[in-house]
Amino acid sequence: MSRSYDRALTVFSPDGHLFQVEYANEAVRRGTCAVGVRGKDIVVLGVEKKSVLQLQDPRTVRKVVMLDDHICLAFAGLTADGRVLIDKARMECQSHRLTVEDPVTVEYITRHIAGIQQRYTQSGGVRPFGISTLIVGFDPHDTRPRLYMTEPSGIYSAWKANAIGRSSKTVREFLEKNHKDDLTREETIKLTIKSLLEVVQTGAKNIEISVMESYGKVTALDLSQIEAIVQEIEREKEAEAERKRSRLAATAAGQAAMSSRAGDAAQPSGQQ
Amino acid sequence: MNTFVNRFSTNNALSVIRKAQAVVDDDEEFSDAAWGSEAGFGSLAKGVPSFSIPAVHDPTAFLRLHTDDHADPNCRIKIQHGTTTLAFRFQGGVIVAVDSRATAGSYIASGTVKKVIEINPYLLGTMAGGAADCQYWETYLGIQCRLHELRNKERISVAAASKYLSNLVYSYKGMGLSMGTMICGWDKTGPAVFYVDSDGTRLKGDLFSVGSGSTFAYGVLDQGYRWDLTDEEAQELGRRSIYAAGHRDAFSGNTCNLYHVKEDGWRFLGNYDITKMHYDGPGDVPGSAQVAYGYDVRVEGRTSSNPPAAAATA
Amino acid sequence: MECSFALTGKGYVLIAADTTAARSIVKMKIDEDKIKSLGPHLLMAYSGEPGDTTQFAEYIERNIRLYQIRNLYPLRPPSAASWIRRALADSLRSRKPYSVNLLLGGYDTSNHTPSLYWIDYLGTQAEVPFACHGYGSYFALSLLDRYHDPEANLEEGLAVLRRCIDEVSKRLVVSPGKYRVKVVDKDGIREIEF
Repeated sequence: MSRSYDRALTVFSPDGHLFQVEYANEAVRRGTCAVGVRGKDIVVLGVEKKSVLQLQDPRTVRKVVMLDDHICLAFAGLTADGRVLIDKARMECQSHRLTVEDPVTVEYITRHIAGIQQRYTQSGGVRPFGISTLIVGFDPHDTRPRLYMTEPSGIYSAWKANAIGRSSKTVREFLEKNHKDDLTREETIKLTIKSLLEVVQTGAKNIEISVMESYGKVTALDLSQIEAIVQEIEREKEAEAERKRSRLAATAAGQAAMSSRAGDAAQPSGQQ
Repeated sequence: MNTFVNRFSTNNALSVIRKAQAVVDDDEEFSDAAWGSEAGFGSLAKGVPSFSIPAVHDPTAFLRLHTDDHADPNCRIKIQHGTTTLAFRFQGGVIVAVDSRATAGSYIASGTVKKVIEINPYLLGTMAGGAADCQYWETYLGIQCRLHELRNKERISVAAASKYLSNLVYSYKGMGLSMGTMICGWDKTGPAVFYVDSDGTRLKGDLFSVGSGSTFAYGVLDQGYRWDLTDEEAQELGRRSIYAAGHRDAFSGNTCNLYHVKEDGWRFLGNYDITKMHYDGPGDVPGSAQVAYGYDVRVEGRTSSNPPAAAATA
Repeated sequence: MECSFALTGKGYVLIAADTTAARSIVKMKIDEDKIKSLGPHLLMAYSGEPGDTTQFAEYIERNIRLYQIRNLYPLRPPSAASWIRRALADSLRSRKPYSVNLLLGGYDTSNHTPSLYWIDYLGTQAEVPFACHGYGSYFALSLLDRYHDPEANLEEGLAVLRRCIDEVSKRLVVSPGKYRVKVVDKDGIREIEF
């Protein structure tokens, strides 16, 4: 019975599954969506923000956090698990500076985080972290932006653009269709917001965007900036729809004309 | 720091746990800091950080009993102390030059010691103080550098390598280690020299000399040093400085080993006999004027006697 | 012989430390920086047992930085001083204590006050208007009693600091050659060519 492989301990089921890890993936799928997009010399993180309750202080809810001067992380899944993992990662960033003098590389800290996540799938008495993370940043002495993802199983991988959390599949497919190499700053931000709008119906007020432009230079876009871009996207969409509609109308008219002409042509023979 | 009490004690409950850990503990991929909160870990693995020390009750006392140090110079094992080593950074890379004499107490134990430790094709370490300490820990450093390379897909920086060594010897501070070393190499930032010693001091700099003959070497080195030396001039300066120390310091001498570190790694340039340099010069090598270094040879026929002109003609 | 001086003035703290790293009779380095920036408005000069000094200073530096990353705001100078003193005091009661003497200067942007803390290797902490460590203190303390002015502007403060350094150079047998001088005020940390 699968039930006996379904307890606190992560042990294999006979067909090679770790149920606890799969449940953790499920927790991620229920978390709010986060998107990361890599441009030519910029990398952008966008997250879907839950609506803040009327009496809540919005500053205490953060989904994009700094790990070190040059690395940002966004996660999807159980926020409480995220906090613990983030703290471990921050500690490692400082510890690495203390022991090696250089700051961590993005891949190093990703591997470290993934390593911790993996350990929690292979130790007694623990449960896996219910979060996936997107890690962005720049390596020291380097100008290329980096984007990595980790999963509860401890897998990590590098990406040009990716999404995690709720409806991540839809967003990823959107990104696959629309991402190009060497995006400019504006294009990258726009693509991030556009892809988030695929799943966020409520628009700008539920989107948070963090932009990293070079080593240690991070800015969070404020609401008005995001709103402006959202409006621009909506205008474009409308224009597109308008064009489609007019094209549709044109083709419909054309078709109508053609069929009527065909009718005209047919008529004499019909009359025969 | 407080965990030091636990680390060094051998007969309490913690040491029993530590032994148990040694069995469980089979990977070092992650630092203990990562497990600071021990969230959910009830097991013994990865609890107190620990490192290896000799299996005697009190290692420090054991070492003091059997080796010479400042307190007791007459015991059986003499540790090699006399040395001259130097390294400096210049426009064309790093020059590393050392002597080759090993003294144990008052006699010369060997005249052909290799005092430059080739950590890997891009890193050199020099040896002053305890020969065994330097050899063992710098070879160990080589292992760690290779592991770093494999894990991170890039060569370790000279700063990181020297820091690793410095942290390591610092953790043994006060337990009798004796090392004064220069870690030299070339990394993304260019040529680099770090001085590391067993006090835990670690200094980044352009020019260092270590050992009993270092003051003599400094005398020549400092005066001849410029950043824009040519490769040949720099090699000659290194050779000449080691000669100076080998000549004046009783505990340094025999031969000089010369290395040059460039962007593509280090190169061994040669072994030069100090006595030969004294009487004949280093021979036909780049940068050498092919004259003897010795004072008597250099000033042959010159005199400071200043007789009045009349007396001279008479 | 290691020397470090610090003094407060109108809206700033000045810290000066010598730049030599010596081993027995040899100066191994003459441009070593012994003043660490622990935050946007916090400076620490350290001296003492070789090895211990940098190990301790870097440990403190990384922990203070970790605090700022975790909490978004840096520790204010009095809290930082207390925490650092505690770290020293705890190490004093361990098997191998850090022998490090510190001068901690900071500027509290929330109440616009500069503050200076004198901390020694035994974990003694005192908030003072001026302070010294090393043999320099035997000359400079009396001098500062005579010339220090809590309302001095930066130029006047530097002049007093210059007096200290000149006096030590004049009277101390083996006086350090060069000093590094840093100032912390409302605008942050700057190094001053001296």
